[in-house]
Amino acid sequence: MPKVDALDLTNLNPYDVLKADVLDVITESPTIKTFRIKPEKPFEFVTGQFVELTVPGIGEAPFTPSSSHYEKEEMDITIMKVGFVTEAVHRVKRGDVLGIRGPYGKGYPLDKFKGKDVLILGGGVGLAPLRCLLLTLIHDIDDYKSITICFGARTPEDLIYKNQFDDWRKYDKIHILRSVDMIPEGQKWDEKVGVVTVLLDDIKINTKDAVAVACGPPIMMKFGTFALVDKGFKDENIYLSMEKKMYCGFGQCRHCVIGKYYACKDGPVFTYDVIKDEEKIWE
Amino acid sequence: MIVSNSDILKFFENVKNDFDIFIPYASELDEDNLSYKKFSNNKEFIINKYRTIDPVKTLLYLPSERVLPVNPKVPKRIIVGVKNCDLRALEVLDAALLKDNFVEPNYKVWRDNTYIISADCTEALSTCHCVLLDFPPYPEKTEDVSCSYDLNLIKVDDNYLITVGSKKGEELLELIKKYCSVRDASPEEKNKIEAQHAEIRKKLADINSDFSPDRKYDVISDNKDEATWKELSAECVECGGCTNICPTCYCIILNDESEKDCFKKVRTWDSCQLSGYARVAGGDSPRAKLWERFRNRYQCKFNIMEQNFSKSGCTGCGRCISTCPAGIDLREVIQSLQEV
Ligand SMILES: Cc1cc2nc3c(=O)[nH]c(=O)nc-3n(C[C@H](O)[C@H](O)[C@H](O)COP(=O)(O)OP(=O)(O)OC[C@H]3O[C@@H](n4cnc5c(N)ncnc54)[C@H](O)[C@@H]3O)c2cc1C
Ligand code: SF4
Ligand code: SF4
Repeated sequence: MPKVDALDLTNLNPYDVLKADVLDVITESPTIKTFRIKPEKPFEFVTGQFVELTVPGIGEAPFTPSSSHYEKEEMDITIMKVGFVTEAVHRVKRGDVLGIRGPYGKGYPLDKFKGKDVLILGGGVGLAPLRCLLLTLIHDIDDYKSITICFGARTPEDLIYKNQFDDWRKYDKIHILRSVDMIPEGQKWDEKVGVVTVLLDDIKINTKDAVAVACGPPIMMKFGTFALVDKGFKDENIYLSMEKKMYCGFGQCRHCVIGKYYACKDGPVFTYDVIKDEEKIWE
Repeated sequence: MIVSNSDILKFFENVKNDFDIFIPYASELDEDNLSYKKFSNNKEFIINKYRTIDPVKTLLYLPSERVLPVNPKVPKRIIVGVKNCDLRALEVLDAALLKDNFVEPNYKVWRDNTYIISADCTEALSTCHCVLLDFPPYPEKTEDVSCSYDLNLIKVDDNYLITVGSKKGEELLELIKKYCSVRDASPEEKNKIEAQHAEIRKKLADINSDFSPDRKYDVISDNKDEATWKELSAECVECGGCTNICPTCYCIILNDESEKDCFKKVRTWDSCQLSGYARVAGGDSPRAKLWERFRNRYQCKFNIMEQNFSKSGCTGCGRCISTCPAGIDLREVIQSLQEV
């Protein structure tokens, strides 16, 4: 296991950026692309941690790698085009240069997942950080009882990692459930239709003792969490990615503060019991 | 240690080429306003009196500063006339920016290269309210308060009593001794100082007689009532002045000015009062409404910083009150929350 401790920034410039070459750009959906990058030095992180990605001269934004943390030479980052920086990222081509710094935040406490049923609940580009977790879990698949993936997207076309589900389905321990909100004319779909929480009706695990990990748009996080609680998951076993506005990544800029916590350095993943009483967690 | 007024001036004269000396001067527009300027001998500086309009953070955590690559060499500096409210603020900034596992590189460089010579307040502004926070208007070193001054100056007659607050202060005092003759304080001088302290405390108590010093701060977080906060923030024009001028506010945004793989980052103060502050892509914000942002500032100062650093985020300097174009008085806001 790579080291889980938060980065010690005492003796380095915490803003320091590593150069990263763009090796490949994969179009996942009309608004989402995956960038395969090679940082100038091997980059260690733990699944759950995030990086700040620089588009030189444009800006920086936080993203979670979508490749396994066992891969240190290269990294995938899957990015949805939603605004200023992400639009600039989407213009990046193979051979261009980006910058990364980090990793920041705490990783998933994988030790606590061992021997358990793990449920992964993702919506839209929220599956990106969860793919990092999934690939890491697959690497040590014997350690876990089962992995259930509930994944929702707006339409079939918006589904990311379209070609990878077949690889994952090959594992006996992995169960995949997918839904789309709607099927526009001309698109094909023979799985479930409805918001992602409808998939929770079909899960076949003992939720009392299982862990659930969720990442997705704010509305999914809110109703997804309520549904997980409803299905019997314990608050302390529900892991939520809190994607707040962030600049620094290490607890200086204060933009991500949730009550007394910093989403960046105390999170970005929190268990529900820790933050449920803080104000405005879903917005 | 007692040193004369004229000797102190001599000291500044002699070291002004070795140090950038910042010292309060009366503003040309309004002589009641003091502001840090570079030392010059043809204008009268004001060491005591009351706080400057600009908090000392403007010299140590600059409004906008390149942080990558970091500025490796900065001039040695002496900041003179820092008041206790700003010393308390430095303690908050130190707690936030010089931590065990994270050190803000520029702040550290400025801090390391700056000597802080603080001074007692001898007068007070109508907005000053350190006493409501139980902070005295002069630095006081006790077991639980370290007070980040290197040297402190107390005016007695035409002299200053110098007290040492740190190792750096000891070094600086050695340098002062090269240019100034020093002697021990007499018992009369010590009595005089005590009387001065009592007098300035009394003055501050009078200024703040409308406000109760036993304020409860939980009421800020506990009160989530939209109508109450809307009323309190009704006049706010969302300028962000209160946060920029606050000596403990340190929120920043980072801007990228990289050219290809030559990475450059610039940090600039930000304000939680502005609508874009916590907005994420897609438009969601945990504090989309003005009253929510207004309340957040009070929560941050009085509840969250206390939880984060075991220190009050408000030092009672009153700058946010002086600066607010809407005339919002933080003391009144807190007072009225007590009564809800
Ligand atoms: C921990 C974490 C992990 C994440 N992981 C992923 C991921 O894996 N994939 C993914 O697609 N998304 C991820 N996100 C979300 C992603 O960070 C945002 O989508 C991204 O920040 C949007 O940036 P934007 O500039 O494109 O959007 P905008 O809406 O343009 O900007 C978002 C905010 O940044 C500010 N801003 C934008 N540009 C500037 C500028 N030049 N100067 C100052 N302020 C500016 C704006 O004020 C705005 O409020 C993650 C977020 C977090 C916190
Ligand atoms: S909140 Fe106002 S009175 Fe308190 S320290 Fe900040 S500027 Fe001074
Ligand atoms: S200074 Fe006054 S008007 Fe400006 S943001 Fe602060 S409270 Fe509002």
